Amino acid sequence: MIRIAGVGFLNAAPLMHGLESDPDVELFLGPPAEVARRLAEGECDVALVPVAAAANIGEIDLLDLGIVARGPVRSVVVAAERPIEELERVLLDASSRTSVILTRLLLRRPGIAAPPHEVIASIEGNVGGLIIGDPALEVEGRFPHVFDLGEAWNQRTGLPFVFAAWAARRGALTEAIVARLRRAAVEGLAAREETATAYARARKHDPERYVSYLRDTISYSIDDAAERGLARFLSDAAAAGLLPPPDVRVVRDRSVPRRPSIDSLLTRAADGGRLSMTEALRVYREAPLFELGLAADAIRKRKNQPSVVTYIVDRNVNYTNVCTTSCKFCAFYRPVGHEGGYVLSREVLGQKLQEVVDAGGVQILLQGGLNPALRIEWYEDLFRWIKATYGLGLHALSPEEILHIAQLEKLDVATVLTRLHTAGLDSVPGGGAEILVDRVRRAIAKAKCTSDEWLGVMRTAHRLGLRSSCTMMYGTVDTDVDRVVHLLKLRDLQDETRGFTAFFCWDFQYERGTRIAPGDHGTVLYLRTQALARLVLDNVDHVGASWVTQGPAVGQVALRFGADDWGSVMFEENVVSSAGTTFRMNAAGIEDLVHRAGFQAVRRNVRYDHLGTPA
Amino acid sequence: MRSAAFNAISDKVRAGERLTAGDALALFEEPDLLALGALANEVREQKHGDRAYFNRNARLEVTNVCYASCNFCSFAKLEEGMPGAVTLTVPRAIEALRSKVDEHTTEVHVVNGLHPGLPFEYYEELLRALASAFPHAHRKCFTAVEIHFFAQHYRMSVRQVLERLIAAGLQSLPGGGAEIFHPEVRTRIAHDKATGDEWIAVHRESHALGLMTNATMLYGHIETFAHRVDHLLRLRELQDESLKLGKGRLQAFIPLAFHPDGNGMQKLPGTTGVDDLRTLAVSRLVLDNVEHLKAYWVSSTPKVAQIGLSFGADDVDGTIVSETIYSAANKKAPEGLTVDDLVRLIREAGRIPIERDTLYNVVAEHPRAALEGQFKVRERLQGRHLQVVS
Repeated sequence: MIRIAGVGFLNAAPLMHGLESDPDVELFLGPPAEVARRLAEGECDVALVPVAAAANIGEIDLLDLGIVARGPVRSVVVAAERPIEELERVLLDASSRTSVILTRLLLRRPGIAAPPHEVIASIEGNVGGLIIGDPALEVEGRFPHVFDLGEAWNQRTGLPFVFAAWAARRGALTEAIVARLRRAAVEGLAAREETATAYARARKHDPERYVSYLRDTISYSIDDAAERGLARFLSDAAAAGLLPPPDVRVVRDRSVPRRPSIDSLLTRAADGGRLSMTEALRVYREAPLFELGLAADAIRKRKNQPSVVTYIVDRNVNYTNVCTTSCKFCAFYRPVGHEGGYVLSREVLGQKLQEVVDAGGVQILLQGGLNPALRIEWYEDLFRWIKATYGLGLHALSPEEILHIAQLEKLDVATVLTRLHTAGLDSVPGGGAEILVDRVRRAIAKAKCTSDEWLGVMRTAHRLGLRSSCTMMYGTVDTDVDRVVHLLKLRDLQDETRGFTAFFCWDFQYERGTRIAPGDHGTVLYLRTQALARLVLDNVDHVGASWVTQGPAVGQVALRFGADDWGSVMFEENVVSSAGTTFRMNAAGIEDLVHRAGFQAVRRNVRYDHLGTPA
Repeated sequence: MRSAAFNAISDKVRAGERLTAGDALALFEEPDLLALGALANEVREQKHGDRAYFNRNARLEVTNVCYASCNFCSFAKLEEGMPGAVTLTVPRAIEALRSKVDEHTTEVHVVNGLHPGLPFEYYEELLRALASAFPHAHRKCFTAVEIHFFAQHYRMSVRQVLERLIAAGLQSLPGGGAEIFHPEVRTRIAHDKATGDEWIAVHRESHALGLMTNATMLYGHIETFAHRVDHLLRLRELQDESLKLGKGRLQAFIPLAFHPDGNGMQKLPGTTGVDDLRTLAVSRLVLDNVEHLKAYWVSSTPKVAQIGLSFGADDVDGTIVSETIYSAANKKAPEGLTVDDLVRLIREAGRIPIERDTLYNVVAEHPRAALEGQFKVRERLQGRHLQVVS
């Protein structure tokens, strides 16, 4: 059985001819990002992936079959009402990283990520839109100005552009796989007119447009010229910091590329360069602790004021412990109807909030269980009341809770977030990310949202102008590969939105009441993981030390392993402390610890603006 | 930001040259903690590779009555009869140990207050009773401060005290009571017990009689880096002499972080994780003639001890069934760890756990699991309780 993942676009159909009905093939069809994810997470043997995704994964072998444009491509265009040079903004359909990066390289103009369906609708005046795939063919002729990226690339470089190719982990392109894919391509190329005609008929479109597209526009062979075009694109993108240096080869070439040394990977990362998934994994597994720490420290010093460690005076308030998810690692929740369930009253809340105000606090972190008794109006009222009465920043509701409200109210996430934002929500905490690999999530938190849902809420929140943190809880059933995949998913989204302010990680805290065994994590793994995150998340400004779980002494050491933030003053923290970890600290305690670790402690707000050092 | 001085010191370390007091001070002041740690780790790995040692030991304090009044102590009560003061008879002491010692225990570790009212024979009787009740457990008993006290109190020479105790079954000396040797500090924190010179003299005599001993340093209170350096150099000098003599010697050095709970210096802040690691690293680099360096988990917490195994330390001490002296000053420390806990602690730190006896003979190896991190976790989960309950 060969597990193949391919994309459902028309231009890919000739490469996949007959695979669907082959009993020896397990074929998955999905959008490019999902296909790339499957390859990255080892859920398929070979995948038709955008070349940027291949570079991001690293150590990838490409078959010399792919989707190539030798001039205009027609299906990847920036459409606009005005000439391209007059555009002020381009909305980017983020469903293909390759096209987004190509746009960035060719246009060098501010781009904003938007969902595909909004891109076309928003093209107006000096706002253009990147349109990808079949929708691009459908809108042919509808816009007065069209900038064809394939054509532009060809004009600039004199080379073809490879959009996607069959890809596998290094060494995994077996003869059987290669033979099967070549047969599919031979048959598929022969059937192009038929395929295009059927496609057009199904949509009641003029077949000729599609026939010429498949037959004349798209080419399927990655020959020497195409390979040079591919190499040029990957190295240009790496030079622009958009991709890691290419570690992708076309298998026609049997020479084994030299692996960069761990030292050179650390140096690249320390200098702000990007690591591929494979490289990050090698660093995580092989780099000496101190070298890893020094590289992370170099990045921390470049991204932030070297002598400063920030912290925030806020309060973690858990408004309810009633929850329907029953995560196995949680000792805090109570099921609906349980006598130990609570929802905090305004009176109790008010007292807590007043204490925050009195202590010079600037925000509250409001999180709770998924309590079906609380409707969106309850949250809106609460937020308005908090804003009006206490004027505190509202860092509230993790993606899980937002999805829960959306589901409960039968509203979409954007509507929920917009309403909550209007009511006073300032930012979204990054909790509940756990590990953004669904196999892990299903094992530890079956009822929780999928990775894509979690990322989707964050994407929406960022687009509405909300900022959020991001987190990783490792050490349950996750592997080191899962952790690296998690970091790459965060990095990808951050490339799109720039909405994440900071990253925090910690290991699962075992205690009675949780239903997952304690693992062997330890503080060395913590330091390695935090340092790796500092290396991989080259587009996230801040990394926080998780002293609440690791203890203040390790927290101090963590400041030398990439962390530049000490998190919050803890008035209370119920979830982790239900699991037995009870490190707490007031502002004076934090400042003392940070100071004695050799740094200046500076208060911040949720956007990491410095608020000055209190007298 | 590695200083030129640091680079020069690195060169010396790599060339096997001995560090000076000035070098040691520069290392304590080196701003680049990771560079310092990496250098100490080089030395540590040269000496011990990936091995990290622990033992199965049981602790006993027969009396907390103590005439000395050290400011850092949260354990000893001044006089017999005061609330909380406890002195065990020999049979009671053996009884107390029975619950802590099993057939795998390789060491009994006994340290006490300086009790002015017990006869010397009490200690001899205790050693004989230990030897007969737990013949398999090595008797590591009485700090140099106690030995010095015995000599003064019972009007004998240190040598006579040691000879009588050895005859009764004493096998080695623990490293406690060293605190900080330098009189500027010692007179302020521990004015009425053995001086630094006296402490060293006891160890010198013990080594001459063929006993193995350990040495400690209580840091992080009122001492300066210079005092720490002085302390380390005095120990290095002692060890030079003892090695020349070729009988007993210092086996391990154990930095002890000062903890401020409930003692005369409770207004001091305690140490930082950074200082704990720095002190381990500098100790490893300066004490070139002492084989082992302990990241004593009771002192630094198991979490910092794990990192310590990369900053020069090769030992985490033992199961320590019921430690009470340190625990009195650090309420957060667990009382004892199981062998599983220690094996895990060491493996998590990326080292190979070696169970040793007091004299560092290998009792059992606990080879590293297939690979770091993930595989280990999964192995444990499958082996034990990951039946994720649903």
